[in-house]
Amino acid sequence: MENEGTVGLDCNFELKEVQKLEGHTDRVWGLAWNPVTGLAGVPSVLASCSGDKTVRIWQQAAATGSWECKAVLDETHTRTVRSCAWSPSGKMLATASFDATTAIWENVGDDFECVATLEGHENEVKSVCWNSSGSLLATCGRDKSVWIWEVQPGHEFECVSVLQGHTQDVKMVLWHPSIDLLVSVSYDNTIKIWAEDGESDDWHCVQTLGDSFSGHSSTVWAVSFNSTGDKMVTCSDDLTLKIWDTSLDLTASGSDSSGLWRHLCTLSGYHDRTIFSVHWSRDGVIASGAGDDTIRLFKEIPSDVHLQVNGPSYNMICKKEKVHSMDVNSVQWHPKVPTILASASDDGYIKIWELKAIS
Amino acid sequence: MAIVLLSMWNTLTVYRSYCRISRVAIMGDPATDDIFDSSLSLEDDHLKEGYNEGFEDGKILGKQEGKDVGLKLGFETGEELGFYWGCVNVWNAATRINPDVFSSRVCKNMKQMEELLDKYPILEPEDEHIDEIMASLRLKFRIIASSLSVHIEYNGYPKSSEGNTIGF
Repeated sequence: MENEGTVGLDCNFELKEVQKLEGHTDRVWGLAWNPVTGLAGVPSVLASCSGDKTVRIWQQAAATGSWECKAVLDETHTRTVRSCAWSPSGKMLATASFDATTAIWENVGDDFECVATLEGHENEVKSVCWNSSGSLLATCGRDKSVWIWEVQPGHEFECVSVLQGHTQDVKMVLWHPSIDLLVSVSYDNTIKIWAEDGESDDWHCVQTLGDSFSGHSSTVWAVSFNSTGDKMVTCSDDLTLKIWDTSLDLTASGSDSSGLWRHLCTLSGYHDRTIFSVHWSRDGVIASGAGDDTIRLFKEIPSDVHLQVNGPSYNMICKKEKVHSMDVNSVQWHPKVPTILASASDDGYIKIWELKAIS
Repeated sequence: MAIVLLSMWNTLTVYRSYCRISRVAIMGDPATDDIFDSSLSLEDDHLKEGYNEGFEDGKILGKQEGKDVGLKLGFETGEELGFYWGCVNVWNAATRINPDVFSSRVCKNMKQMEELLDKYPILEPEDEHIDEIMASLRLKFRIIASSLSVHIEYNGYPKSSEGNTIGF
């Protein structure tokens, strides 16, 4: 199922720049919106991590609506901070670094304090992610392994399992939004899904989405689930986005081979450089950030418009070029306000955007 | 006249025998009649002589090198295994004093590490599982060390440092 670049363009949306956040002194690698902010009078909070070895916390001022840097988390990591993730409660921030450690920070008043350091990876940690209940933390790195940690009282973290299976650098890990299933994507072109065998701490790979499942033909950089968790999108160096049917609970299916995730759709012909980041909004809009300094937005064509014999298809609803002067490393939708998007780039800046319909 | 011919014949016979004997002495092959055979095969003879000398010297050097490598690797492996045994013994001793000092998950990992150490075939360096067991041991050790939040590392022997690689 290919969506050619010239067919199905429905570009009646635009991205309007709200603000440019300056402060980092090196490329910005990752962004994370605090999930419990931005609603009911609580100002939105955004974390960003950078090659300058720091993490910055940005907050939107209630009065003016403009964004200010509230805190700089420094003097902890000794190398690039590659990824950051808030716990579901919004109380803790995990930061993954090239210095092979993952730091856990807690908000204490206006300050952030490093309350734990997780060691174990042999080299650069590339991604960190909390599960939906906040009881587990996953990290992955260049040593080709994925580590799962259990969150315990008193800022204790215990390693539950080390998952080995990828044959190259693992770029990102992501938990399913409601089930304890872990997805990892890698430089080895595959996507792996991991599940626990009962309650035994025995995690194993329940499926590998590679060639035989219409997988990617080059490095897979990122993955994102839709809000219900029944679909996921992956992006790759092979210049495509792929949509997957993830409605099956792979933890319950055991060794039943009919219970597997499958490929639904490939969006190709839109990007001409590596797509580094992808994120699915609550409203069903997929944002992608690529090496051509462009952000593209896609949306599923409603099922009454096309006969879905071959599965769902997607339209590109917006293309914004030169959003940054260099590669776009991360795009993240606001968790509560589905028209707000943040982007981070090699150029060291973060930009806040608003999605608007073109009148 | 007949005496001259006879003495000439004798000399020739003696000379031919001498050559045959010399040839036999060098090549050990009395069947060939040509007295110039030995000079024709000179290159070949020397090649074979050199080869045999090298082979014998090589055997001695090879054995010595094998011993040296074996000693080095054996020492390194022994030291690493000994380090892990030391850790496991201390952890077991701590558990005997206070059975709750470590969480059940950490205890399980320690037990698995002890089983791996028992399983390691010290006397069979050619065992195909040897690298697998050592890799599992190293991983188990890192898992336990990180769960105990202790910064212990087995440093082993100084290896050449990995070049500064750029990651993305």
